Amino acid sequence: MGKAEKYEMYSVEMEKHSGGEMDVKIKKKNKAMKKKEKLENMKKEMDVDDHQLSIEELEMKYRTNITKGLTSTVAGEILLRDGPNELKPPKGTPEYVKFARQLAGGLQCLMWVAAAICLIAFGIQCGQGDLTSADDLYLAIALIAVVVVTGCFGYYQEFKSTNIIASFKNLVPQQATVIRDGDKFQINANQLVVGDLVEIKGGDRVPADIRIITGQGCKVDNSSLTGESEPQTRAPECTHESPLETRNIAFFSTMCLEGTATGIIINTGDRTIIGRIATLASGVENEKTPIAIEIEHFVDIIAGLAIFFGATFFVVAMVIGYPFLRAMVFFMAIVVAYVPEGLLATVTVCLSLTAKRLARKNCVVKNLEAVETLGSTSVICSDKTGTLTQNRMTVSHLWFDNQIHTADTTEDQSGQSFDQSSETWRALCKVVSLCNRAFFKSGQDNVPVPRRIVIGDASETALLKFSEITLGNVMEYRERYKKVCEIPFNSTNKFQLSIHELEDPRDQRHLLVMKGAPERILERCSTIMIKGQELPLDEQWKEAFQTAYMDLGGLGERVLGFCHLYLPQNEFPHGYHFDSDETNFPTSGLCFAGLISMIDPPRATVPDAVMKCRTAGIRVIMVTGDHPITAKAIAASVGIISEGSETVEDIATRLRIPVEQVNKRDARACVVNGGQLKDMESDELVEILKMHPEMVFARTSPQQKLIIVESCQKLGAIVAVTGDGVNDSPALKKADIGVAMGIAGSDAAKNAADMILLDDNFASIVTGVEQGRLIFDNLKKSIAYTLTKNIPELTPYLIYITVSVPLPLGCITILFIELCTDIFPSVSLAYEKAESDIMHLKPRNPRRDRLVNEALAVYSYFQIGAIQSFAGFTDYFTAMAQEGWFPLKCVGLRADWENDHLQDLQDSYGQEWTFGQRLYQQYTCYTVFFISIEMCQIADVLIRKTRRLSVFQQGFFRNKILVIAIVFQVCLGCFLCYCPGMPNIFNFMPIRFQWWLVPLPFGMLIFVYDEIRKLGVRRHPGSWWDKELYY
Amino acid sequence: MATLNEKKTCSQRMENFQRFLWNPDTGQLMGRTLINWVWISLYYVAFYVVMTGLFSLAIYSLMRTLNPYTPDYQDQLKSPGVTLRPDVYGEKGLEIYYNISQQSSWDGYIATLQNFLSAYNETMQQGNINCTRESYYFQTTFDAPNKEKYSCKFTKDILENCSGVTDPTFGFPEGRPCLIIKMNRIINFLPGNGTAPRVNCTALDASPLEVAYYPANGTFSLHYFPYYGLKAQPNYTNPLVAVKLLNISLNKELHIVCRVIGTGITSDNPHDPYEGKVEFKIRIQN
Repeated sequence: MGKAEKYEMYSVEMEKHSGGEMDVKIKKKNKAMKKKEKLENMKKEMDVDDHQLSIEELEMKYRTNITKGLTSTVAGEILLRDGPNELKPPKGTPEYVKFARQLAGGLQCLMWVAAAICLIAFGIQCGQGDLTSADDLYLAIALIAVVVVTGCFGYYQEFKSTNIIASFKNLVPQQATVIRDGDKFQINANQLVVGDLVEIKGGDRVPADIRIITGQGCKVDNSSLTGESEPQTRAPECTHESPLETRNIAFFSTMCLEGTATGIIINTGDRTIIGRIATLASGVENEKTPIAIEIEHFVDIIAGLAIFFGATFFVVAMVIGYPFLRAMVFFMAIVVAYVPEGLLATVTVCLSLTAKRLARKNCVVKNLEAVETLGSTSVICSDKTGTLTQNRMTVSHLWFDNQIHTADTTEDQSGQSFDQSSETWRALCKVVSLCNRAFFKSGQDNVPVPRRIVIGDASETALLKFSEITLGNVMEYRERYKKVCEIPFNSTNKFQLSIHELEDPRDQRHLLVMKGAPERILERCSTIMIKGQELPLDEQWKEAFQTAYMDLGGLGERVLGFCHLYLPQNEFPHGYHFDSDETNFPTSGLCFAGLISMIDPPRATVPDAVMKCRTAGIRVIMVTGDHPITAKAIAASVGIISEGSETVEDIATRLRIPVEQVNKRDARACVVNGGQLKDMESDELVEILKMHPEMVFARTSPQQKLIIVESCQKLGAIVAVTGDGVNDSPALKKADIGVAMGIAGSDAAKNAADMILLDDNFASIVTGVEQGRLIFDNLKKSIAYTLTKNIPELTPYLIYITVSVPLPLGCITILFIELCTDIFPSVSLAYEKAESDIMHLKPRNPRRDRLVNEALAVYSYFQIGAIQSFAGFTDYFTAMAQEGWFPLKCVGLRADWENDHLQDLQDSYGQEWTFGQRLYQQYTCYTVFFISIEMCQIADVLIRKTRRLSVFQQGFFRNKILVIAIVFQVCLGCFLCYCPGMPNIFNFMPIRFQWWLVPLPFGMLIFVYDEIRKLGVRRHPGSWWDKELYY
Repeated sequence: MATLNEKKTCSQRMENFQRFLWNPDTGQLMGRTLINWVWISLYYVAFYVVMTGLFSLAIYSLMRTLNPYTPDYQDQLKSPGVTLRPDVYGEKGLEIYYNISQQSSWDGYIATLQNFLSAYNETMQQGNINCTRESYYFQTTFDAPNKEKYSCKFTKDILENCSGVTDPTFGFPEGRPCLIIKMNRIINFLPGNGTAPRVNCTALDASPLEVAYYPANGTFSLHYFPYYGLKAQPNYTNPLVAVKLLNISLNKELHIVCRVIGTGITSDNPHDPYEGKVEFKIRIQN
């Protein structure tokens, strides 16, 4: 979907309307259309039917055998046919292309064109036999050098951040167990082919898309693919028609957490689901960054003005009577003089300064221009799992003593704990600790509990950690209560049970503890423990239980019930043989202890960050592969759905009316399911996005994520996508800025993203937004500063052409201003603090709030720049007059002045000057003009500190870098003027001190004038003054 | 951003541009309403009137501070330039190439010299006084008529054989051409520190060069110095020295440098070849 193709798409439509175009053309366009259709098809769901086939059909289809596997020869053939089982690395852009890209931005192109014009002008001059001035050549060289040097700089920056990202990649080749010819082999996973019979076990990465044939307690972690935090069971039965939902397919690159399974490979390499997503991602064209668009817009303005000025003075020159070629050279010189040579360097340095600042806060930016994008962002589409949440199950609520208690779910256990004095709690805690097969990996005593590695499934892990934190050493606790029997969890009876001896050796009873699905547990209970008392479980308590269960379930949490029973000593004496198969012990009539619910909790910093995004006018949308209830619960807890917002369904339940009768506009929030999304037209989606400010998309496929991002972009929003999984990667690529998680993120996500959060901290996005907005404001200031001096650099030449005075400002001097003295001050503006609380403003409107608008250009060029020109000319005429050339004498002097055969030209006093002497006088003028511009630019940099506030409000010395820059600029000016040898190398003359002072009043005028402007802008917002003079 | 990125077709662009030029819906001409244009133009007119006023004020006060007789600074005029007549430039500096047997090849030189010396006619110098003292002619007061200062007479007969009076062809046909050396005038410049500066011509390849100088010794009399400027001495004429080259070997290019020798006159500035000296090439063919 390249730019060109897009363009062609539109033009097809255009031409079809007009009709009757040339055949060839239309054909070509149709081809482009087909290509687009192909991609559209890819965006639709993929069809796999292998999960619905029976084993026999599978064997037929893949010419394999489910016990012996493929024969080596067949495998070899298929390997030759299909290629190795690995993802084709995304077509890595060759390094030279990356470098070339650095040389081909908007500003760069402008400078290339300028350089070309310079060379042409130089060529014309040479052709005319005028070999005296090589200025054009120098200029061309300088322009090219600037482009190349900044290109190298930008390339280096990119290279560095790419390296940081690359260091995360896991390079260890993967092994897989395969059965071929009836024997087991360990081979490299990339040698696997379709039809291979493979074995997977806990801890393995699934080597390809596999149709499961046998499975024992096999669970896989699909979170990177679907966004579900919970491990998914894999078994041979087909449970769903969608290949993504069914249980009998395990996907390439997902992790097998526990259990074992064997299966037949149905897809390898790029044809796997992951592979297709990756292909989809690489098919998505990167969007142009907003800053690139702004710079292009700015280049348009510059080019327009340059050509306008050039053409005007071309006509003037022709009217004055210059020969055509000469006028042409003037034209080119003016156009080139309009190119702000220093701007490219300024922009690049400003952006990389921000990139550095961000890197310090653990945001690595891949592409410099993306630094600003977050600042313009108006919509953040965030993935849930791993981005907003911690991607680990944690106990969040408990229900006992007929009360819901909230557990501490923060990552560092900094939150509030609940009341633990109740007897019931002690009983519940005992059940939780004992009825649990998970255990800590040894040797982790010094690791904080939440970070310890646990062997066991996710909910058991959560419970283990929970009891370790609340109770203390669980392992030792378990030893005290020796386990004598256990029944592990299985999907038919949906509970887990174990029987323990008691801690007290005098008490010879056994304790039976059980946990499982709450409704199943309740069935087996006859009593319930309330405040340490066993009460009969009557209807009232059952209702209480139901309410609690519904409440917790409604929070999107996974609820488990716990119960226990002290087995009577007379029936089950010490040493009694408990048989788990025969169940020679009671499994009903137990005492209900409580409910515990678990969730993948949001990261601690997320709610605050979401809040900040909202105050900054950024809409946060959740787009997840997880279930709607969980998604909604997390959305509510992080503030994506704010307090008091209701969905259509919520309103319906509250008002007790059918969903259809609810006015959809009343619902601020909306949860859209992937299934609903599938049937939606894209207009409908846009409509929904417009109608509900708070959106959650659940059960979305990677393609749908892509469509959601596109729809937001259609609304004119600048979209950021945050995500970590493979399923996010197409959306990450499509987004204006993709933000991937550095630790939890998959390689695919990191490849597709523009920015990477090294510490996975969502709050870094807020920093990114802030820095982005700040750099946008400050770039505006830098550009305004840089543009201003274009006019005092240009007017000398215009006056030179039209009034024929000796040239007041030379080309090399201009280059020194642009590339030497003024760079530091313009960069120092990047350190300026924000004028107002930028995080309380709305994101900028990309159509209206341009980086460089007309007001900025006009104010800089025709007001401040004009004052600077007057300053320069005043100083120029002063220096000329005091050396003997009165202003009126200067007018029309050019031809004689520049005649190097005239060695005795008379000045206003009758003194005679050789050409050499005149040349040095001209250099003096250059220097004087240079100093004038410098002096005025000091005033300019001071006024550019703020756009609205008074400089006094902003503080003169707050930006230390700027103060240093001014001092540096003055020192550099002094050095250039007074360093011996300068006159003959760079045409700088040691000028008299008082010529430094001539431009000062003009500098003050600039300052006062701008203060008046700002005062007017502040006092009369919306007035004519504000509209014309606020940039 | 998709909407912003959309590429427009040419006709769309033209349409947009036309709309920019004249938008009938809002009555906007090039993005502004007419009244808005008037306001903004008035603002800019006012702005530039004020700025021009300030600029004029600055230039006016600058002119008020200037001394009409002497410039404030003479930073570039440390040492006078020296010029040669006839001044014909070739590819690299002054070149006097001619053929004795071809009158048209040296006619131009003679015309240049005659023309140059016409300013040194007796009639042109009437306002100037005769000076005889061999010392600087200081004038602190404005004694001459019209509140001016006196200038010393320099007439072409001082150049004797090279005056063009006795020999109107300046010796060109004989292969012994007359060339005239002039020193640039600089206000209040006192060359030679009491001794008259003199011209000395040598061949660059150190071959012996026979030269006759007019006036004798090739000196610039001190009474022509100091120069008081155009306003004080409107009729001032630079003193000259004529150089007659006597032994130019024919058909051979000769590189000659004529220096003005005197304290305060430097002739070794590598960046200004005409400071204190003048170099030229000469080739006479027959």
